[in-house]
Amino acid sequence: MRFCPYAHRTRLVLQAKGIRHEVININLRNKPEWYFTKHPFGKIPVLENSKCQLIYESVIACEYLDDAYPGRKLYPCDSYERARQKMLLELFYKVPHLTKECLIALRCGRECADLKLALRQEFCNLEEILGYQNTVFFGGDCISMIDYLFWPWFERLDVYGIADCVNHTPALRLWIAAMKQDPTVCALLIDKNIFLGFLNLYFQNNPDAFDYGLSC
Amino acid sequence: MSGASARSLGKGSAPPGQVPEGLIRVYSMRFCPFAKRTLLVLKAKGIGHEVININLKNKPEWFFKKNPFGLVPVLENSQGQVIYESAITCEYLDEAYPGKKLLPHDPYEKACQKMVFELFSKVPPLLLSFLRRQNKEDCSGLKEELHKEFSKLEEVLTKQKTTFFGGSSLSMIDYLIWPWFEWLVALELNEYVNHTPNLKLWMAAMMKDPAVSSLFIDPKAFRGFLDLYLQNNLEACDYGL
Repeated sequence: MRFCPYAHRTRLVLQAKGIRHEVININLRNKPEWYFTKHPFGKIPVLENSKCQLIYESVIACEYLDDAYPGRKLYPCDSYERARQKMLLELFYKVPHLTKECLIALRCGRECADLKLALRQEFCNLEEILGYQNTVFFGGDCISMIDYLFWPWFERLDVYGIADCVNHTPALRLWIAAMKQDPTVCALLIDKNIFLGFLNLYFQNNPDAFDYGLSC
Repeated sequence: MSGASARSLGKGSAPPGQVPEGLIRVYSMRFCPFAKRTLLVLKAKGIGHEVININLKNKPEWFFKKNPFGLVPVLENSQGQVIYESAITCEYLDEAYPGKKLLPHDPYEKACQKMVFELFSKVPPLLLSFLRRQNKEDCSGLKEELHKEFSKLEEVLTKQKTTFFGGSSLSMIDYLIWPWFEWLVALELNEYVNHTPNLKLWMAAMMKDPAVSSLFIDPKAFRGFLDLYLQNNLEACDYGL
């Protein structure tokens, strides 16, 4: 689905590694019956190859692509550095839920000061990592898997209306700026107005929300 | 290996020194199922290691410098590198050390093991809730939920027609999920796999594995530990020593 942050991770990796692929978008509010043969709960993203092998869970899919396809490796080769990236992912685990809750609260006209505070705390933890490492990216001086795994939620801060949550985290703001310069990130950047159009329809429970911005 | 049966370190204890060259250290707790994963992999791969047990009810202050989450298991090597989160420690050991690979080399087979791992993820909190409530409240709802989760795993074995979750031989995924089934054996709750015959056969096959049997939890000590642990007793982690 064009606006799903989890699927976005997988599309970033496909793009970064130059892997030829086709995309089938699923209407998440009106899932085709056959889709449950691809994923037991009908979630996305799911990878399917020509051998009919199915891989799901966004992180598992991303790692599979890095392992299975040649070219630039997004995970480091060193076992300790790989482990470090996976530990960093654990540090990130509250962010998706918190950003989603903020979005819902704001869209429903509710207060979300506590949620924003909690999100800012999570961002402080990530800020600390960048400060301690003294690197631009989370994996070092070059962009790598962990940066792509984090990125979709940061790209959405603005359209979700919570961009001010990075006001107190300068290293994180520098990281965001550096990410926006990455060719892979740029190639998949979603137009703000289209995203807002999607969000408006989504929160009106319009089943056509997912196709907003597509002509015909 | 050294330290596995040693008393745990608690608040006020001195931080341990550097890890000796040629060994890897694991911060553990004798009855922690997550740490058991790491110990199983260390044993299965024949990796030289030392164990430092942590009193999880009275954690030493220095331990939070090793793992900010304050949880076991944690690996520390002689270069001072620290790795935490049980699944991450197991994968690190498999990659960093020679010998028998526990994770498949094939990317799809590896992804399958990780998908099964996700399928298993509800079992640890469910089993713990179940053990907390036993004999106290009605836990038939929890029992049903456990059955449901076990059925998912049964389905995998039935579909694959293999003894183990990774195929015909024991591999990483089997070690990762084993510690909770070890609890069922230790607590004589094998009836919970009566509805899942392949899972039952898998448990029997696991019990024959050298790493599993050499590290098998002592049922009496485990029950003693569990009673004290559920009462938040500071001595729980050292029960039986």
